[in-house]
Amino acid sequence: MGSQFVDLDLDGHLDWLSATFDGSPHLARGSKEGFGAPEQLLDAAGRRIIISSFWDWDAKTHKVDGRALDAASPPQERCVSAWAHDMDGDGDLDLLLGSYENGRLYVQWNEGSREKPAFTGRNLPVAAGGAPFALPEKMTAPRMVDWDGDGDLDLIAGSFGDSYGHEGAGGRVVLARNVGRDGKTEFAALETLIPASPKGAKEPTRPDAGLYADAVDWDGDGDLDLLVGGYSMWTPEARSLTAEEEAEAERLTKERDEVQAELARAGREYSAEVRKITEGKDPKSADLLAAVAEARKRYQDATAAPRARSKTLNDALHRLVPAPARETFVWLYERK
Amino acid sequence: MDGKRWGVALGLAGALCAAPGDAAASDDPAGPAPARFAEPVRLRAGDRWLGGDRLYPSPVLYDVDGDGVRDVVVADLPGKPTWARATRGPDGAISLAAEKPFLGRDERPLDFSNW
Repeated sequence: MGSQFVDLDLDGHLDWLSATFDGSPHLARGSKEGFGAPEQLLDAAGRRIIISSFWDWDAKTHKVDGRALDAASPPQERCVSAWAHDMDGDGDLDLLLGSYENGRLYVQWNEGSREKPAFTGRNLPVAAGGAPFALPEKMTAPRMVDWDGDGDLDLIAGSFGDSYGHEGAGGRVVLARNVGRDGKTEFAALETLIPASPKGAKEPTRPDAGLYADAVDWDGDGDLDLLVGGYSMWTPEARSLTAEEEAEAERLTKERDEVQAELARAGREYSAEVRKITEGKDPKSADLLAAVAEARKRYQDATAAPRARSKTLNDALHRLVPAPARETFVWLYERK
Repeated sequence: MDGKRWGVALGLAGALCAAPGDAAASDDPAGPAPARFAEPVRLRAGDRWLGGDRLYPSPVLYDVDGDGVRDVVVADLPGKPTWARATRGPDGAISLAAEKPFLGRDERPLDFSNW
């Protein structure tokens, strides 16, 4: 989730606007005592704001609804970021909504006022450089900031990239300058501020995936630096092994693989058992939930020893052969 | 300040709006020069890495304690933000205290619901 501190209803207190992977913007309303509990931001009709894909909290399932895109078969895009910004220069704050899939950006107009926002519930795609805004490697969150110092607000956004694999391209940070006139926002084509990570480092050298960026003058020198959170992915350089160590690594690998195959078999059997228990039954029934809980406990008990053995083997193996690492940090990119 | 500027400026903290950016570069007929950055460095908060051991940490500056220095708020995928108090030393360098949960007005950690 990204964060914007913005006085959404002009009551003199900053509110906290965000969006999570449930597919909707959330707002923690500010007051002099602090922020209230976050709540879903609703449109003028009292409906939850979405792009199309969302988690239905009542049904406990993912759903797709085309109402906000006026589409019977909408693209499956989940709103994971939100930013309040006056796109049309009419003095109130519209909503920018960013999607995970395809990294699209939409605007939802505010047809209310600065004090009483009334969002339409309908999204329109935002363009950059005359083409639909898109970060195919999936967008984390956009932010509006006067990057080029011309008095209007430009957009910076990070992207996820391949967040798990150590070889697929990583995330980046882009800029879309605001070239609009008369207070209206219009974005130029995307420019790269931080290029996509090629990965493959032997130590943490940068955020490689899941880049969330904020533009701040960290060092007080008058220009904007970037503060970027994300995953660093690296594989420490392997040392040379003796013949004995190589044999030991081979033995550990073989035994580890056997244990993991045993765990995979147990996992498949557990999944099959849960399917059998739940098939055709009311997913909310107490009997079903109890039966699933019992099955889970049997699975956890049965696999406790092999899981512990697998960890022991892996730890011993990785003392000889370094494993790929993936950890989160926040990085400062100081502007030169 | 017109309505647009007033509205959006309220959503941005201090220096975010004040920094001059690269306006000079945009006068170049060849277009603005690409931004250049020093090699990135990891930030510490107390004796740990800022944003360490989290799911998709997302940092943003915000003056949590009202002392005039913007602190670092770190949100994440589960929706449970933390913050690290920032202090500026005599040389202007910022140092960050250990992260702690971001409490709401009910003194409980804020929780932006994730699925």
